[in-house]
Amino acid sequence: MIATLPLRRVGPARRSAARARPAATRRRGRSTVRERKANLTWEVRSFASASAAIALGFVLALLYLSQTTAISAGGYELQRLQAERDEVARQSALLEVRLAQLDSPARIEADATRIGLVRVSHVLVVPAEKLAIRR
Amino acid sequence: MRTDEALPARRGVIHDRNGAILATTVDLRSLYAIPALIPDLDAAAADLAVLLGRDPAELQARLGSGAEWLFLARRLPEETARAVEALALPGLGFRLEPKRLYPNDGIAAHVLGFVSDDGLGQYGVEGWYDTLLRGVDGRLVAERDPAARELAMGLREARPPRDGADLVLTIDLAIQTAAERELRAALERESATAGTIVVVDPLDGAVLAIASVPSYHPAGVAVADPETLRDRAIAWSYEPGSTMKAVTVAAGIEAGVVDRTTEYEDLGYADIGGRRLHNALGRAWGPTTLTEILERSANAGAVMVGAKLGPELLHEYLLRFGFGAPTGVDLAGEIGAQVRPLAEWYPVDVGTAAFGQGLTATPLQLAMAYAALANGGTLYRPYVVAAWRDADGEHRAAPLPVRRVVSEDTAAQLRAMLTSAVDEGLANRAALQAFSVAGKTGTAQIPSPDGRYVDDEYISSFAGFFPASDPRFVAVVIIERPESRLLGTLTAMDAFKGLAQDVLRYARVQPDRSP
Repeated sequence: MIATLPLRRVGPARRSAARARPAATRRRGRSTVRERKANLTWEVRSFASASAAIALGFVLALLYLSQTTAISAGGYELQRLQAERDEVARQSALLEVRLAQLDSPARIEADATRIGLVRVSHVLVVPAEKLAIRR
Repeated sequence: MRTDEALPARRGVIHDRNGAILATTVDLRSLYAIPALIPDLDAAAADLAVLLGRDPAELQARLGSGAEWLFLARRLPEETARAVEALALPGLGFRLEPKRLYPNDGIAAHVLGFVSDDGLGQYGVEGWYDTLLRGVDGRLVAERDPAARELAMGLREARPPRDGADLVLTIDLAIQTAAERELRAALERESATAGTIVVVDPLDGAVLAIASVPSYHPAGVAVADPETLRDRAIAWSYEPGSTMKAVTVAAGIEAGVVDRTTEYEDLGYADIGGRRLHNALGRAWGPTTLTEILERSANAGAVMVGAKLGPELLHEYLLRFGFGAPTGVDLAGEIGAQVRPLAEWYPVDVGTAAFGQGLTATPLQLAMAYAALANGGTLYRPYVVAAWRDADGEHRAAPLPVRRVVSEDTAAQLRAMLTSAVDEGLANRAALQAFSVAGKTGTAQIPSPDGRYVDDEYISSFAGFFPASDPRFVAVVIIERPESRLLGTLTAMDAFKGLAQDVLRYARVQPDRSP
C-alpha cells in the first residue's frame, strides 16, 4: 500500500512571518521541517519498495516462465533421447537376431554344402595315451 | 489431452544351453498410409509394389478404398522398411509392432512351440512357460500436446511393465540340428513322411534334442497343417516293439526270475495264454542265453522272461519304468500313452507286452526308460528348461529323480547285454569305430481301427546310448512306415550312428575303444 501526502508550497510572505515569530515558534517550525523531511523519506521509500516489489515479481515471473520452458524443452529432449535409445536397442536386437541367423549350424552346413564341402566319412581318432608313452 | 495406454511387457528370450538365441521378440515396423496426404496414389502404389513384392493394382485399390488411415504392410523386414523410408513419400508412416522371431527357422520348432497373433504361447516351451515368458504389462496415464508428445509438466501416472523371463533350455542347438538332419535324411531314404529322434542326458534327464517330422516353421503357423504341430516325441504313441525287450529283461533280472546265465531252447515261437507267438520270420534259434535274446531280438525269449515274471510283476515294472503315464516333461501337449490296467489284461498280454506289443509308449518315455538303464537304474523326469532369468535374478531347475527302477547291478548287466546286442547282434549296424554303443532295434506293427494290425507296414526304431562304458547320451530314432518295411531298422541305425558320431565329436568325448 503506497501512502501519499499532499506537498505544501512555502511562499515568501510566510517566510518573513516566520522570521518575525519568536524563538519558540522558530523551534516549532524546525521540527515541522524535520517531520516533512521524514514524511518525504517515507514516501520515497514506499515508492521504491513498491517499484522493487513490482520488479521482483516481474523477474520471478520471467524466471518461472524460463524454467517452465526449459523443463518442457528438457522433457521433449528426454523423450527424443528415449526414442533414440529405444531405436538403438531395437537395432541392437535386430543385429543379435542376424548374428544368431548367421551362427545357425543349419545355415553353416547348408553354405558348406553349397560350396562343395562334404561330411567326413571317417573320423581319425588318435589315442592320447600312446603319444604320451612315446614321449 | 490425456491418454491412457498399456505399456507392453517384453516377451522373454529363449536360449539354448550355450546361449544361442532360439526365439526372441523384436519390434518391427509396420507401414501405414494416410491416402489423403499422398499426392499421387498411382505412383506411390507402383513404387511400393516393387519394394513390398505386391501387386500394384492391389495397392492402388487399397489406397483408393476411401479409408482415412490403413496399414499397407505389417511387421516389415528391416531392409524393406528402410527402402520404403528412403522413398520419403508424404502420407506414409511407420508404427512399431512386436514380432516373435526364430533365427534358426524351423529348427526345434516342436520344442519351442509358437506365439499366436494375440500374443499367447502355444505348444512346446512357449505354451508351457507362457505366463513366465509373457511378463506383466504396465500402464501409463499422461497428458500430451497436440503432437502426442508427453508434457513434462503435465499429469503422469505410470506403472512400469515387468518384462517376461528369459529361458535357458537344456536343448543344444548343435545336437538338435544334427538330429533333425539325420532324421530328414532317414525319412527321405525310406520315403517316409513321419519320424522322431529324441536325445537325452541320462545323468539328469535333460532333453538335448527333439526332432519331429512333419514339422512347421514357428513364424508360419497360420498356414501350417495341424498335424505338423504335433510333437511326435511326446504327443504321439506307438507300440514300441522289440526295444521293449530290454525293459522286460531288466525286470526279469531285477525280480530275480532270470539271470545272465539263464538259457532256454528257442523253437521260433512261444505258447502263452492259448496263443502261439512267433519270432520275427519264424526263425528258431535253438539254445539261447538271456544276452542272446537281445542280440537276436527273439520274441520267444522275451515271452519266456515275461511268463516267468507273471502279469503282476511285468505290469508293475512297466509302470515303474514310466510307461503308461506322462513323463512330466515341461512341454505343452504331452500324453501318457497306454498300458492297460492289469484287470484288463488277457493271459496272452504277458507275452505280447514282453516284446512291446499291446501297449503304447511315446518316444520320450522310451528314451527315459533307456536313460534309467544307462545311468545305473534311476528314472528321471525329463526337463527342457534349465534356468530362467527375471528381475529377481537367475533361477536354476534341479534335475528330478523320480524313482529307482532297477539296482545298479541290474542296470550294469543290461548295459553289457545291450552293448553285446550292438557288437554281436542284429544291431551291429549301429556300432561305432572308437566308441562302445549299447542299444536295441525295434520293429513294431501298426494297429488298425478294426483291432488287427496293418498288413506289411511297420514302425522301425532304434534305442540306445553311447559311450556304453560311461553313457553320456541316450538317443531314440523312430521311422514310421519305412519303404523298406522290416529293414527300416537298418535306416534307423544309420541315423543313430550318424547322430552319435556327430555328437561325440562335438562333445569332445574321449574314445573308450581302440580304433
